[in-house]
Amino acid sequence: MREFTDGNPIAVAVYYLCVTVITMFTMNPIVILISLVASAVNYALYAKGGIRPHLFSIALFLILAVINPLINHNGMTVLFYLNERPITMEAALYGITAAGMTVAALYWLRAFGKAMTADKLLYLFGRLSPKISLILSMAIRYVELMRNRWRKIQTAQKALGLYDDGNLIDAMRGRARVLSILISWVLENGIITAESMEARGYGSGRRSSFRLFRFRGRDLLIIAVSIALATVGIVGLSYASIDWYPAIKTNLDAPISIIGYIGFGILAILPTIINTKEAIRWRYLISES
Amino acid sequence: MTVIGNEKVRKALRYAIPFGLIPATVALSATAFGEKRYLILSLGIAVMAIMLFMAGIEKKNIGSRRMVMVAVMTALAVIGRFIPLFKPITALCVMAAMYLGAEAGFLCGALSVLISNIYFGQGPWTPFQMLGFGLIGLFAGYLSKPLLKSRVLLVGYGVIAGIAYSMMMDVWTVLWYNGSLDGSLYLTAIVSALPYTVLYAVSNVGFLLLLRKPMGEKLGRIKLKYGV
Repeated sequence: MREFTDGNPIAVAVYYLCVTVITMFTMNPIVILISLVASAVNYALYAKGGIRPHLFSIALFLILAVINPLINHNGMTVLFYLNERPITMEAALYGITAAGMTVAALYWLRAFGKAMTADKLLYLFGRLSPKISLILSMAIRYVELMRNRWRKIQTAQKALGLYDDGNLIDAMRGRARVLSILISWVLENGIITAESMEARGYGSGRRSSFRLFRFRGRDLLIIAVSIALATVGIVGLSYASIDWYPAIKTNLDAPISIIGYIGFGILAILPTIINTKEAIRWRYLISES
Repeated sequence: MTVIGNEKVRKALRYAIPFGLIPATVALSATAFGEKRYLILSLGIAVMAIMLFMAGIEKKNIGSRRMVMVAVMTALAVIGRFIPLFKPITALCVMAAMYLGAEAGFLCGALSVLISNIYFGQGPWTPFQMLGFGLIGLFAGYLSKPLLKSRVLLVGYGVIAGIAYSMMMDVWTVLWYNGSLDGSLYLTAIVSALPYTVLYAVSNVGFLLLLRKPMGEKLGRIKLKYGV
């Protein structure tokens, strides 16, 4: 079973870039509604654990929706007065739309963050820039290495009797000493790594990556479909307009805009479609055997 | 940028981005879009600026020893971001910049944000944070001579870096929420972020003073010993 995020990282990145940029780009309530629902469903497929991962988003939505009418007093339709300041319907609706945009974009990005693990990030950067990718991969490795060595040094120091956790000042001093040893060790070791790299011919060829991501026909298809649907969505959106202040004036239902909404809608549920299709195929294959 | 094999195309891009692409993006968003979306504009420019810096570094011959040292400093900054409240990331970038050069400072800042955001959450704020910390490192590298000499200047740099970073991220907060930069909203954001601004400045100064001597000795020693 090959899920959407198991494809080539380039395809996954292009897809998430398209959908997130359109979501952030627009204040069109219809698109934001589509995006919000689709992104929440998409994220829910990754995040197990019922409602808990969504509590943050719900709280954020409520806070952001309330802030705008409290700060912004533009708009003609006054709902009520708070501390002699008018609270307007236009500002409230704008706040709700802006909050929906923020939460939807965050959902997309959180799903993207879950999909882009460190090895995929390295793969992407390795194509763009070998030097940066090398520093990135070494730094990621050093994070783990340093934690390991910290423990080793600490144990050695304890065995020497130089480390006392009972007294706060002593503990601080002990930590500082461990840190100092750790930095010296890692820096010295790094030089050896560099020598070794050069001796093995670093920089003489194209950089390879640890995990091989093959570029399949499916990945090309995902990239092409994402870009095509995003273009349809952007063109459709450019014909729709909405003015918030002083009174809400909308022009959201031009035929070309509706095609744009449909295009964006398909784009937004693309991972869900692919994952569902793969899941059905998986079930089918199991029942065959 | 080895993704573009042709040397001429690469060279053309290096001039096209700052002199063509960025102004074109600004002009396009100022005229073509009815509602001005400064957020997308600033995001695009932040990404292009980072790519430019990285392309410049890619071209330069840094040397593998220096690259490993940058990786070590970056890893330290990433680990430092896990310390609650007080973050040594600025201090470490400044140290890297002072001893290893401006490019090292930029890389240390930008990459430590990129890596630590794998744990803390990537988002549209990532390019801004990368650019923010990267620039803190870059300028520290350009000012390395006076900063190495005077402790007062170093403290001043830490304070200014903390305030500037916080104010830059406030611009981003307002743009994200409002789409354009509204004066009163910006003021609200600055005021509500004041505790963080103070925290940044204090931890910058604290860690700079704490790390200046021991870290400087270590980096200086490695530089002297191996001729980085």
